[in-house]
Amino acid sequence: MYTRIIMQKNQRIILYILILITGASWIVLSIDNTGASNIAAPQAGFPAPDFTLKTPEGKIYILSELKGQAVLVNLWATWCPPCRAEMPAIEKVYQDYKDDGFIVLAIDMTYQDDPFAVVPFAEQYGLTFPILLDETGETAAAYQLRSLPSSYFINRAGIIQEVVIGGPMSETLLRTRIEQILQ
Amino acid sequence: MLTLFRNIFAPPRHMILLVLAMWLGLLLSEKRAERHGIGKDNFNNLIFYCFLAFILGGRVSFILQNILAFIKNPLDIISINPDLFDLFGAIVAAGIAGLIYGQRRGLLFWSTLDALTPFFAVITIGLGFSHLAAGTAFGKETDLPWGINLWNASRHPTQIYEIIASFLTFILLWFKKYNPRSGILFLTFTALITGFQLFIQAFRADGVLILNGIRQTQIIAWVILIFIFILLEIRLKEKVT
Repeated sequence: MYTRIIMQKNQRIILYILILITGASWIVLSIDNTGASNIAAPQAGFPAPDFTLKTPEGKIYILSELKGQAVLVNLWATWCPPCRAEMPAIEKVYQDYKDDGFIVLAIDMTYQDDPFAVVPFAEQYGLTFPILLDETGETAAAYQLRSLPSSYFINRAGIIQEVVIGGPMSETLLRTRIEQILQ
Repeated sequence: MLTLFRNIFAPPRHMILLVLAMWLGLLLSEKRAERHGIGKDNFNNLIFYCFLAFILGGRVSFILQNILAFIKNPLDIISINPDLFDLFGAIVAAGIAGLIYGQRRGLLFWSTLDALTPFFAVITIGLGFSHLAAGTAFGKETDLPWGINLWNASRHPTQIYEIIASFLTFILLWFKKYNPRSGILFLTFTALITGFQLFIQAFRADGVLILNGIRQTQIIAWVILIFIFILLEIRLKEKVT
């Protein structure tokens, strides 16, 4: 291939021009006017999958009703060490940003957790944000949960802007991501 | 099989694929380094300093961009959390470190890039696999029979397109006849990868759209191709030493 290219300069120039014309044509042919996807999926760029879940006290939260607020959806369990480790940082940033329109929805994977351990856990860590119970695993399935903790940073339009799988998240990481979804 | 693969290498384990690609790429590059006039010691030192600069540069760049958050938690500067990282800053830092080391050791710029080409080529294959595992760099919805079910829809397997393109590029460059003109190997690699990206981006669903739906990455790739062609011509004019 190179031997031919090196020997024939004119052929090379023609080849470059042909490639560039083909490239430009391909760019025009692949213009996308379909707009953003409306399918909800647990990935950055998609609308966040909706859910309706209850707190241990029975208060109902519907994610789609929180549009206009920046939301951190955190999937966790009481037996998961990194989940426990990141809770104090989440509580701290919740206190700092809640007046700016930020809310944390910490969803306990109750279907694979001890339901009686959730409230004592929240009390032990002094958590003041809503803790929701996924008793059937439906929300875990909608978010295609594969690792705990999993965190979804959702902007005011209800679009997932950032996904952090695994943990614990540091306070600085939380602050940088929250600042982005609050914009 | 795809589901099994995605479960095994679900994030954050998808990084294992990148590390494996780095290791394999280095092994292959080291094997061919002497052909490009780079001694094994120099090659390994170059990689070491670039890697160190990559890690430090990525963190420093992230800190500079989020300085207020770090002022509140200065200890997070040394946090092992990989998300506190800026990839662009890391690449720039690694490039600068490579240039400085190369200049001090008298390494020839284009020959060094040629020596590193197998490394870059294997990294692009690993990147494709890591995208597939994480479900990132995903495709547009399609009814085509080879569509993969991802993010609640049948989509173009853009990650697999990426793997095939990168693999073909690697094979083509690995088995091609040795060219004594330095820089040609690296520039051919960048031209092929950029050309493939220009093509594959059309099937991606996660790109940035500008000017009534034109993909920003395709425009960038097209402009890069022009620069590569100019550089190829300049390199081909050089006399073989």
